[in-house]
Amino acid sequence: MSIFRPAAIMRNLFKKPMTLQFPYQSLPPVDGYRGRQLLDLEKCTGCPVCSLACPNKAIELVEVDEGKKYPQIHLGKCCFCGLCEEYCPRDAIHLTHEAMISIMDKSQALYTPDKLSQPVG
Amino acid sequence: MERTKGILAKSELEEREISFTTIPFGPQHPASGHVHVSLKCDGEEVVDLTFHPGYLHRGFERLMEYRNHAQNSMLVDRINVLDPFSCEMGYANVVEIAAGIEAPQRGKFIRTIMAELGRIQSHITWLGIMCMALGLDSGTRIAWGDREKIIRLNELATGGRIYPCYFIPGGVRRDLPQGFKEEALKALDYTENQVKLYDNLVFYNTTFVMRLENVGILRPDDAIAMGITGPNLRASGVVADVRKDEPYDAYPYVNFKVVSLEKGDAYSRALCRRGEIIESISIIRQLLERIPEGDFRVKWGLTKKVAKGEAYFCCEAARGEFCYHMVSDGSERPYRVKVRAPSFSQNLAAFPYLAKGAYIADIPAIYWSLDSCPADMDR
Amino acid sequence: MDNEIISAIESKFPKEVLSSASEDKKILLTVKEIKFHQILSNLKDMGFDHLSDVALVDYINEGEFELIYHLWSHSKKIRAIVKTRIPRESPRIKSIIDLWIGAQIHEREGHEMFGVEFEGNPNLTPLFLEDWEELPPFRKDFDIREYVKREYYGEDKGYFG
Repeated sequence: MSIFRPAAIMRNLFKKPMTLQFPYQSLPPVDGYRGRQLLDLEKCTGCPVCSLACPNKAIELVEVDEGKKYPQIHLGKCCFCGLCEEYCPRDAIHLTHEAMISIMDKSQALYTPDKLSQPVG
Repeated sequence: MERTKGILAKSELEEREISFTTIPFGPQHPASGHVHVSLKCDGEEVVDLTFHPGYLHRGFERLMEYRNHAQNSMLVDRINVLDPFSCEMGYANVVEIAAGIEAPQRGKFIRTIMAELGRIQSHITWLGIMCMALGLDSGTRIAWGDREKIIRLNELATGGRIYPCYFIPGGVRRDLPQGFKEEALKALDYTENQVKLYDNLVFYNTTFVMRLENVGILRPDDAIAMGITGPNLRASGVVADVRKDEPYDAYPYVNFKVVSLEKGDAYSRALCRRGEIIESISIIRQLLERIPEGDFRVKWGLTKKVAKGEAYFCCEAARGEFCYHMVSDGSERPYRVKVRAPSFSQNLAAFPYLAKGAYIADIPAIYWSLDSCPADMDR
Repeated sequence: MDNEIISAIESKFPKEVLSSASEDKKILLTVKEIKFHQILSNLKDMGFDHLSDVALVDYINEGEFELIYHLWSHSKKIRAIVKTRIPRESPRIKSIIDLWIGAQIHEREGHEMFGVEFEGNPNLTPLFLEDWEELPPFRKDFDIREYVKREYYGEDKGYFG
């Protein structure tokens, strides 16, 4: 069997490993990856389309000062399908490529409009 | 070497009850998946077993009644984690039939390409688990590493690695990105090359052959009576493939042959899946060659109502027939959806039948040669 | 070929076949419950050897359950859908386990999710649900949202809340 041939063994010895050292290295997400949402507060009109489109009822409209309503997303319920982005009439909500959003505490999964509008960094 | 089936009469079983051992198989066993089976053994031989599914029962059929069709398209991915595209393919098509819309040609081609990639991915994952069940650990590592190439293609096209959320009634949600064709051809070449490695490492490896040959023989008439479909049925010598018999989406435009083997044992089931990887690669190459330009989606809104009526659609998933029967009452939500998942029959009918009279050591081999997905079975 | 099968069934059971249709290698038969077992047995003899699925639909307003049997013929490559209705109160129907062994688990699931009694099926123990004491969960009068709120979102069960 060819796998036991010396040439194959030598080739495998000098091949790069398939895996990456995860917390230190990771594959960069591609363009169009569906990660956590980014909200554009200026474009958002507070209409309920995103919360109606959400399959998991993760989006809730909350009142921020001056009586204006903005979406608040519970990422613990979000399945990152991107329907909110697709159906937003004002193009105000976008899914970013931010994938590293694991948390230890459940309460941090609640993204208020303020937290949602912060750019990925 | 033929083994006797269903060997002992009931009274004889009760008489010898005292000498039986009960061995639990799963749900924490690495080679079982999320099912629990208690095996009643007489020494080395399994005489009886009880199957306890339900660890992954989420009640999708009921959940769908509360969501509209666009939301359901996102939900059905979860029915079968290893082969999500087929679940989406079925749902998108069944709604299209009920609503009387038709996806554009490019959308159909993209759907077929992705579904075939999903089939390759599912079979490679199966190969990894099969090796794990048999103790060929290097096979596991290599197969699951190669799966990453296909997953990366999923990510490139759909934006999601495992759960694509990609097909929607009326087409697909986004067009294939620039450079997808080249990336896909590269990944297919790589996979084709790796199949040669699997041949040496796994498929024609003496350990693998000896563990699987003549184990769990499923005769064609039994398989048909129990409702087995997909590679398991084709390995028993029945040529039946929904892609060929009732071609849907872009399958009428491609040439492929249905892989079928004669013997029906675990080894021919493994070889059948190997053959399907090769066939799928050739299908995707043909489709990438012929993919037409144009629209990939007809806009079909979230709150569109579907006329009162029923629709039925059947597609070929990696594990067999995957069918949807949808009843609509004229609203934007389905009145009832019935999912026919292939693993349901495989696990609950074929596995107990094959396991009775087998040796304990053969149980993982039989179980994984059927390639059952517990998520698919419980729904 | 589809029409031949339909006319053969209709001539044998003129009173029991309520409606029939065929399109593009698909046959749809709606039959009365009283002779449905014989009709299925006849279809099996005609070559419909694969029982793909048994689906149940709860028509609560009409007070009926609909049973839908999906058949497929490996030799003729034709699909057949046979429908029959049974009353919602004390639903019982004859099991088809003697025709297809594979029907056993489909009927077991139907019994668990809809509470339909399949007479002649030896094993109707619950498959998925553990210690279930409520209405069968897929019936329309079972309120799944109310159940989830009561079971998982109660005051002392703060996990999901």
